[in-house]
Amino acid sequence: MRSEVSEAIRRGALGDKISFYTVDELMATCMARTIKDRTTVFNGVAVPLPFAAIMLARKSHAPDCIFWSGLLAGLNPDPCFLPPTSGDSAILTGADPVLHLSQIFELAMRGELDRIFFSGAQIDKHGNLNNTLIGSMSHMRVKLPGGAGASHLGAFAKHFTVWSIRHEATTTGKGQRIFSFVDKVDFITTMGHRNSYGTRKELGLKGGGPDVVVTNLCIFDFDENGCMRIKSLHPGVTLQEVLDNTGFEPVIPKKIEETTPPSRQDIRIIREVDPLGTRKRGFSEKSLQNRFDL
Amino acid sequence: MGVFASKKDKLMSLEQAVGLIQDGDIIALGGKLSAREPMGIIREILRQGKRRLHSIGGAHGMDIDLLCAGGCLGKVQHSYIGFESDFGLAPNYRRACESGSVQVKETDCAAMTMQLRAAQFGLPFMPTPLVAGTDILKYNDEVKQMSCPYTGQKVNLLPAMRPNVVILHAHKADEEGNIKILPPFFADALLAETAEKVIVSVEEIITRDEMKKIGSSIPYYLVAAIVELPLGAHPTSCYPIYTYDRAHMDQYVKLAQRGGDAFRSQYLDKFVYRNKSHSEYLEAIGGEKKRMELSRWNENKECWLELMEKETVAE
Repeated sequence: MRSEVSEAIRRGALGDKISFYTVDELMATCMARTIKDRTTVFNGVAVPLPFAAIMLARKSHAPDCIFWSGLLAGLNPDPCFLPPTSGDSAILTGADPVLHLSQIFELAMRGELDRIFFSGAQIDKHGNLNNTLIGSMSHMRVKLPGGAGASHLGAFAKHFTVWSIRHEATTTGKGQRIFSFVDKVDFITTMGHRNSYGTRKELGLKGGGPDVVVTNLCIFDFDENGCMRIKSLHPGVTLQEVLDNTGFEPVIPKKIEETTPPSRQDIRIIREVDPLGTRKRGFSEKSLQNRFDL
Repeated sequence: MGVFASKKDKLMSLEQAVGLIQDGDIIALGGKLSAREPMGIIREILRQGKRRLHSIGGAHGMDIDLLCAGGCLGKVQHSYIGFESDFGLAPNYRRACESGSVQVKETDCAAMTMQLRAAQFGLPFMPTPLVAGTDILKYNDEVKQMSCPYTGQKVNLLPAMRPNVVILHAHKADEEGNIKILPPFFADALLAETAEKVIVSVEEIITRDEMKKIGSSIPYYLVAAIVELPLGAHPTSCYPIYTYDRAHMDQYVKLAQRGGDAFRSQYLDKFVYRNKSHSEYLEAIGGEKKRMELSRWNENKECWLELMEKETVAE
């Protein structure tokens, strides 16, 4: 079923329809703000939300950011829509040149990748990410797809933005609270700032690690000890709500701002880039129903 | 490259080409995720009942999931296996990993690429800038660290990985075995230079003269076998000829989620085991009508968008 908005986009009649935004659009805007102009960004597998964010950055404040789009390895594409699979050639529209995939990893190994976007099925307070399994290697409860390039690119890239659309605790039948933001990840796929192996500095990693975490509730940054610190709360979200949905104690600064909402122009670009609404996949229905006035 | 493959006798049947694969071989597959995976060859691997294959590579999806369903794999060494936010986790892969019927060796796209690079360069290992602090490394004792003898810089070392067989699906081949691949290229050309044997299915065989006009991507001497399989990547895409068959994949994942036995009777029997040939498979998926439907993506944007929203009709 197509939404009223997606119909409007297809008819090219978006102009008068931008009166509200939803959480996916807020997140895409916040993620776009982590991209500086004249830097190099890459995104990989299963990433429609960061794709929308990168396109927004390129069409607003960062027109000269260099964007290598995913495993298809096309430079600076201008897709006519975001497809439901990141293997689809729609994301090569307008891209030139198209490289062989290994060239992307080699660019990152040369230290030329400024930013990449990673999510995590589990995320701890130091920004360690798990995309490998739930349980343990010997007793896998759930085999997750895997981190794709996130283990190596997380070490090579100058910075990475972490994003999560599942910053909400669920309760099992036995009353147990299940978090995505956990005290300890079951498996470290991507290193954050520190973990049982040491700190990035002690280990000698070149990349700076995660500097921003954008969730459906708030934005975190990191303090000098590499611990997640609440930076801003999204409109309508309370501090208690964030704490209730976080499995560790984040650093709480004296002053917490409200996340700056997107502009009409931001929303127009996001909806035009993604007429299928692919960026909304995976969000809970409840969170998408919440409309924020512009 | 493996044994120099001469210009003759490379065109063969699907059965003959898959006959070159031995139980226990290390294999690497072309394409990625939902794109240009050698699905026709994979279905024949299931029919021939190959066993204990060790698949290596990057981010893949239905190809590895289907090999898991057929019981063909002993070991999986991939950086990602799934259907992304499109259809989620890969059900047969999950079952195989969680039950232990397949051994999982965790890896990373860049790591796998560099292991293939070492094989391509004829080196025993490849250094990379330092990677540390992950459990992937904890469970992979092949990864070593050393200090560069020239600069003292700490680097990781990864051993060369040379597949016994590389299996690709490409756009065109000529009768001598030169291959033409149109973008996106993924890692196919790299794979072709690492393997002992390269088996390629193609949409179309063209003459040597026609190939010279468009220029080939992989030279004949790397290629051991060519099979003509139009729509041979189905249900993954082979742009610009056809898009992925989203409705078929939707149906595949839904049936796979019902469990191994249900998947066998409701999907594998119908789309793999019952078909003696690729042309029977093409009939099973809807024949010419299906081919036309999937090739309509470039008529206009609306057609393309509609193909991206196709879902299977619930049974």
